Amino acid sequence: MPEFLKYNEQELVAMLKQRTQEAFNYLYDNYSASLYTVIVSVIQDKELANDVLQEVFIKIWRQIDQYNADKGRLFTWMINISRNASIDTLRSKSYNSQKQNRELTESVYNAAGSVNIETDRIGLRKVITALKEDQKVLIELAYFQGYTQDEIAKLLNMPLGTVKTRLRSALINLRAILKK
Amino acid sequence: MDTRDYIESGIIEQYVLGLTSVEETADVENMAIEHVEVKQAIYDFEIMVEQQANENVIHPPAFIKTNIEGALSNKFSAINSKQIPHYKNEGAIIRNLSSLKYIAAAAIILLLFSTGLNFYFYSAFKNTNTKYEALFNERNTLQANNASYRTQIDEMNQSFSVIQDSNMVNITMKGTKGREDNIATVFWNSQTKDVYLISNKLFKTPEGKQYQLWAIVDGKPVNAGMVAYDCNGVCKMSKKIDHAQAFAITLEKQGGSAAPTMEQMYVIGKVS
Repeated sequence: MPEFLKYNEQELVAMLKQRTQEAFNYLYDNYSASLYTVIVSVIQDKELANDVLQEVFIKIWRQIDQYNADKGRLFTWMINISRNASIDTLRSKSYNSQKQNRELTESVYNAAGSVNIETDRIGLRKVITALKEDQKVLIELAYFQGYTQDEIAKLLNMPLGTVKTRLRSALINLRAILKK
Repeated sequence: MDTRDYIESGIIEQYVLGLTSVEETADVENMAIEHVEVKQAIYDFEIMVEQQANENVIHPPAFIKTNIEGALSNKFSAINSKQIPHYKNEGAIIRNLSSLKYIAAAAIILLLFSTGLNFYFYSAFKNTNTKYEALFNERNTLQANNASYRTQIDEMNQSFSVIQDSNMVNITMKGTKGREDNIATVFWNSQTKDVYLISNKLFKTPEGKQYQLWAIVDGKPVNAGMVAYDCNGVCKMSKKIDHAQAFAITLEKQGGSAAPTMEQMYVIGKVS
């Protein structure tokens, strides 16, 4: 937890449950950038990421009563909401049809270089670049694309047990990198 | 599997990153309740992820905050509403209320205006009605006058036809000595023997007196009839005169006399 934060998580949760304007301002000012970074690490389209960020804050606002501090930190809860919302958007029909349209003019967008974000250097993506290729793929599929272990097993034509073991090894390595 | 092996299995990281299945999630949560070390391990990894997530962050565009505030504005509690400036929805409500106020104000103004108009129209109606009644009365008066003029015109026409008759003899009677101002005219029809009189100018009769016309036949006065009080224009006399040399008018007692009062003779004229 950064030291400049005025309130600890417990205080922030209490404020959020009161639904005060001040709580919203505090939440947004201190967490929007981190959550936005998580979102753009999943969704490269900036405009879509903007939409998802708005959706995420509204979800946090509405679902704060469902947050249970016994199960984890508020920040973890918010990051998972952000990741899930991003993956849901990525998988939604509207996004896929948009994507098809976009592919036609992709070269134009790439030339402009303003729409898509170079995600390899941000968030957890930056961390996994240090992993071995096979572990990188597993985390990419599981974390950034939201596939379940069952789905990954089918996709990679691998036994579920192997997927589980390899994913956990990848995560242990990830932790080691974060610890440095 | 002891707690330490469990913690180092990678399941903690999987749980924190949200990659566990429903069963695995329940398992980790139970372990966290039972083992403080598991809970601690979860917390430690959460902090690691959080610290990493706060490095090299990308800031969202500023308008996003405004958008979210707009979407949430009606969900902010009133606890510190003083700090809430003006949000879209509240603004809309205020605008709605103020537009209602304008509508109400407009309605009241219209009502007052309409009431004023009613008073104006009522007084205008009363005024017009009074004028109408006055005109109606005036019309009736005029109509009555008209009828009376018509009667007079009829009389005059009759008089004219009498005068214009070719058999009519005209005798002008002039005022006697001392009564020179008086003058009257007799029209005598030589065929029908009817006698008509025009009192051109005769003194107004005193109370109880009446003018009487006499025909002078062979030197004797013959009663030719009383001059009616209301004789205007040409008046037909009640008696026919066969022949006469002169006509005269005397002032007699009301109803007339058998013989004329000579000193009360006002006018006299010879038949030419």
